[in-house]
Amino acid sequence: MRKYAALVWSVALNSFLEGARSRFFTMFAVFAFTAVYASVLAGVMAVDQEERLLGDFGLLLTELTTLAYLLFNASSSLLREAETKTIYLVFSRPVPRWAYLAGKLAGALLTGAMMLLLMGAIHLSLLYFRGFGLPPFYGWALAGIFLKLCVIVSFAFFVSLFSTSAVSTLVISAIMWTLGHFAAEARFLAEEAAGFKGLLLGLLINLVPNLQLFNARDAAGAAGALPASVLLPAAAWTLACYLAGLWLLSRKEF
Amino acid sequence: MKHAVSFAGVGKTYRRPGLLGARYHTALTDVSFELPAGEVTGLLGLNGAGKTTIMKLITGLLFPDAGKIRVFGHSPSDEAAKARVGFLPELPYFPPQLKPADALAYYGRLSGLSGAALAAAVEDAMRKTGLEPHAGKRVSEFSKGMLQRLGLAQALLHSPDLLVLDEPVSGLDPLAIHDIRSLLAGLNSEGRAIFLSSHSISEVEKLCSRVLIMVRGTLARTVKRQEWEASPAGLEGIFVEAVR
Amino acid sequence: MRSRGYGLPAAALLCWAAGAWAGASYRAPFPPPSEMRAPLDGAGGDMLALALGARRAFADLWFVRLLQYYGRREVSEVSDQPGHETHRHRVDEHGHVHCDHGANYGKGDYPRFLPMARHVLEVDPSFTAACLYGAGSLAFNMERPAEAEELLNYGLKYSPKEWKYLTVLAAIGYSKAQDPAAVAEAIKPLLREPDCPVMLKQLAAFLNKRAGNYAAAAAIYADILATSRDEFYLRNAERELRKLARGPGARP
Repeated sequence: MRKYAALVWSVALNSFLEGARSRFFTMFAVFAFTAVYASVLAGVMAVDQEERLLGDFGLLLTELTTLAYLLFNASSSLLREAETKTIYLVFSRPVPRWAYLAGKLAGALLTGAMMLLLMGAIHLSLLYFRGFGLPPFYGWALAGIFLKLCVIVSFAFFVSLFSTSAVSTLVISAIMWTLGHFAAEARFLAEEAAGFKGLLLGLLINLVPNLQLFNARDAAGAAGALPASVLLPAAAWTLACYLAGLWLLSRKEF
Repeated sequence: MKHAVSFAGVGKTYRRPGLLGARYHTALTDVSFELPAGEVTGLLGLNGAGKTTIMKLITGLLFPDAGKIRVFGHSPSDEAAKARVGFLPELPYFPPQLKPADALAYYGRLSGLSGAALAAAVEDAMRKTGLEPHAGKRVSEFSKGMLQRLGLAQALLHSPDLLVLDEPVSGLDPLAIHDIRSLLAGLNSEGRAIFLSSHSISEVEKLCSRVLIMVRGTLARTVKRQEWEASPAGLEGIFVEAVR
Repeated sequence: MRSRGYGLPAAALLCWAAGAWAGASYRAPFPPPSEMRAPLDGAGGDMLALALGARRAFADLWFVRLLQYYGRREVSEVSDQPGHETHRHRVDEHGHVHCDHGANYGKGDYPRFLPMARHVLEVDPSFTAACLYGAGSLAFNMERPAEAEELLNYGLKYSPKEWKYLTVLAAIGYSKAQDPAAVAEAIKPLLREPDCPVMLKQLAAFLNKRAGNYAAAAAIYADILATSRDEFYLRNAERELRKLARGPGARP
């Protein structure tokens, strides 16, 4: 088992380092600039609600930046490795495909976690320089963002294994991310709808991961803390995408 | 004699999905051969003859549709088989910002090496392939010949019993070809089996003790060194006759 | 060899179903979409708010729009007297002109105020400060207590335990009963809260001053100076503190 753990870690670390070397820091620069700019705007516009606005927009930007980078990474990673034949050098070795996919997913999530922590640090220092403290829900918000990323990045890896281009993977994953945030509204509509329509909607809802479950960033005022029970759906959806992806990868030829 | 690889009635058809249904292309039909352990075997054929398909089947990158393949007695997908095979694909890619030792360390770890054994394997592979003087350079500064050496080095890391080399001298200058040839001869003298494909008949002629000639997905001929040495037209004549 | 079995997709489906089952009991703490009365020019933003899971951020934007709308001076408010351009003067039943230096700031029609303030809460019902600000402005600046009550009741629907809303409702009741001292007393506990709108603080200070509680008024003005970033209220608090320092009843 230690042998396989070492393999997964090797792939994950390599994936993380590749990510860090490429566009990692450019994204930070963009984020830092946008955050500073937003803070200046917030100061002018929100007056006494500057702290809230700065906190909310900083977290939203952090999430969107990390999401954009990770989706780009997950959509193109396997495709690029196949195109450059790097994958030949991996799969001609005693590396099980499950370990490779797990390593790729872990590497992407490690990159995401690092981005969240670093951008969170930039964001908090901005709040500090504007004279504000740590928002009480901050840690929960970051944890919720990470759980969302786990689900959607594993979904993107799954889609990338059957889609024909990185762009289509990106689009499909972004649509799923959007639908995931509409899940609560869709459930309400399903419960309101009667008969067959309601039944159909109810079934369709279950095909979409309810990302609002993890959206502590948005529900901060209503329910700041993430209950431990959200770990189960996050793990189940992530694992489901991983297993479906593994099925495709185990049948895939290079 | 023990066989490093055996193919028995192997067939492979590629399926290309399209809007109006899938298109099929048969790459290999009923191919059977054995690669003896410790020997250098060449694979000759025109473009599209099925050379790369055979190499990918041996390394588990493709799955056969028919027949049976064994690598050291195992299925090519088995870890036990892969642990004994080193593969150099045509035009291998390495991240340009890496130094050769870093790239090799990653592949060494994937081959199950770690710690001092990994460091020793990387050093040994770099020494054997003549990369030591270039250890401080990044891959982006490498010439095509040096990249090919690096490709060979990654294939050698885990000290495999069989090297599968797809066009190992393609596009190299004469000096690089000479160096690679010497390196492969040295590896063979250590008892490793080598299976290489090439368009260069003269290279195959110099290195191999046996040559398989593929024609449109079938094994047209298996020629031993004694045969082409005895033939007035040499290996080239035999090849031309086989593919026409 | 290539995996031919269906064990993996079956396991994937089971996991997915487990995720759906585990999350099935979740109900969003937000108003249902049927309650969102998005103004025409804001429908796109609301779609984004839901699609990006960014209700808080978009509620912030709606709140900024509300501030900008309310900050826009209506023609009737403008005074042309030098030094009094930022606020209008009160004319009593005897025709005497009184200047409260902006304590009556924000009086005006602002017909879109209630729908805009309510929409902030429709997007994020936990935005307490926005509800308090909206209700306070409606009740005490624009003298539209019914609309303020409507807004507070909407806020209470999603935050039924929010004592600050109940406090302002009580203050509105006292205001309707023409009991300014009771209004000041009712909103007193609110003043210590970080999300208490500065407008309510200024109202409390003004009511205390009118009731002759100069020390309490000064303390509130000092608190405004220490906590607010709103230039208008800061200038007013400075001015009031100077006046109170010169002695109660001093003219500007």
